Amino acid sequence: MSATTSAAGGGGLRPWLLLAPLLVFLAAFFIVPLAQVAVMSVSDPEWGLDHYVAIATDGFHLRVLLDTFLTALTVSLCCLVLGFPLAYAMAAAPPGLAAAMMVVVTMSFWTSFLVRTYAWMVLLGNRGPIARFVEWIGFASPELLFTRFSSTVAMTHILLPYMVLSLYGVLKRIEPSLPRSAASLGATPAGVIRHVVLPLAAPGIANGLTLVFVLCLGFYVTPILLGSPREQMVASVIGQQVEEFLAFGEASAMAVVLLASTLIILGIYHRRFGLDRLWG
Amino acid sequence: MRLALLLLGALVLAFVAAPLFIVVPMSFSTAVSLEFPPPGWWTGYYSAYFNDARWTTPTLNSLGIALAVSVLTVLLVTPATFALVRHRFAGKGVVNLLLMLPLAVPHIVMAIGYYAFLADVRLLQTFPGIILAHTALSVPMAFLVLSANLKGFDRTLERAALSLGASPAATFRHVTLPVLWPGFAAAALFAFVQSFDETVVALFISGRDTETLPRRMFDSIRTQADPVIAVVSTLLFLAVAALVIVPVLWRALSRRRSEARP
Repeated sequence: MSATTSAAGGGGLRPWLLLAPLLVFLAAFFIVPLAQVAVMSVSDPEWGLDHYVAIATDGFHLRVLLDTFLTALTVSLCCLVLGFPLAYAMAAAPPGLAAAMMVVVTMSFWTSFLVRTYAWMVLLGNRGPIARFVEWIGFASPELLFTRFSSTVAMTHILLPYMVLSLYGVLKRIEPSLPRSAASLGATPAGVIRHVVLPLAAPGIANGLTLVFVLCLGFYVTPILLGSPREQMVASVIGQQVEEFLAFGEASAMAVVLLASTLIILGIYHRRFGLDRLWG
Repeated sequence: MRLALLLLGALVLAFVAAPLFIVVPMSFSTAVSLEFPPPGWWTGYYSAYFNDARWTTPTLNSLGIALAVSVLTVLLVTPATFALVRHRFAGKGVVNLLLMLPLAVPHIVMAIGYYAFLADVRLLQTFPGIILAHTALSVPMAFLVLSANLKGFDRTLERAALSLGASPAATFRHVTLPVLWPGFAAAALFAFVQSFDETVVALFISGRDTETLPRRMFDSIRTQADPVIAVVSTLLFLAVAALVIVPVLWRALSRRRSEARP
């Protein structure tokens, strides 16, 4: 498509001249700071792999990493379980209703993480609607805030739009005659969803799970504001080491581990499906 | 089974919507701490927000930073997008991946990277430092939006202008630019919102004199001291609602108008 005219197709110097400003900018203000993290992880306060050895051997860092992965897994699965019915309903709804549902999901998608985190603080607080309702029906008000539960619920809510949009994209494209013919050939409604809809939705499911998992791994704001101070995620440990202890080396080594985990997961997705589809 | 799925879908929609709308009644509440339903109603926290420099200054800072970021991002990304969409050259795949990389790197990683880097070049806690960092982080989304628009561009329009004797520069100004302007606007808007909402990097690289709104909100939520946070949340939510609903209504209206025509 791009090589139809001689002025455009030939390559040569022209594309590189057009790219030069952005490439120079990214090299200076993205690659250099990123490389600095890698360098600090082996050079601060002195050269060596001590920080990586510490991460691999002391119990604390491994537990934080394991906790983070488990949280990300929980949040991804919750997003899938909640996101599938919503995306399915959106794909099945008449156009006007589907558009209205899409407006709600898009609004959530664009609303600042901080606003949504604050909203969950109100909802789950000990003077919030849930605690009051529990008291009203005669039980002791539960301690919901600043627990693993509250941060998991809020992160699920915040990341759910990514899952819904991924699933809606594939569900909308399923030819309506396919589920219908399966049903007319005797498949039960559950069988249609399990054997026809789900396999066709698989690329969207993989897409949504990858996005949510990767975004959740590096989550900083919500676990700090809503989570339990005793069960930290890796991003808050990194931040704490820099802010409170100025331990750049240790923080950078954790950051490299976090980055490597993220890139490995994205790499696997890229080999299987192609990365350009992930954010498309 | 199907009905159960649809009902469950409606419940999930309520789960998505409820936290968004709850900030509105909270902002008119008289409660000094988190309390819902509100014990009483007033608009006092709105005047508190608009009259308190500890809130208005970070708001203006964030607006200015986001404006600069959106301009700088579009200026840098536009020529690069033309190169990647319209030319074939060796190394294109690598460049493509490089442009997407800021989206893949967790913000906390970049936060400590920028903290160290900006301190070295003496831009820590300055506006230029924040603008440069946010611009780098805005590149992928602006590139995705703009390249989607450019791929849909019908090049026979340009060829027609060129064959009628227009110079390449005139063709770009009078043909390419007017057709693509919604793409530029969308790319600029994505960059603006990305910068305006960005919290993690700003927490580490902004200072007392360059405080951004998300940083102020984060500190406020962390200390739980200031009910004004509900006002800010409501204003942000309403801004997003307008941004999302206006284009939907616009499209519905123009569809009706075009259908009304014979």
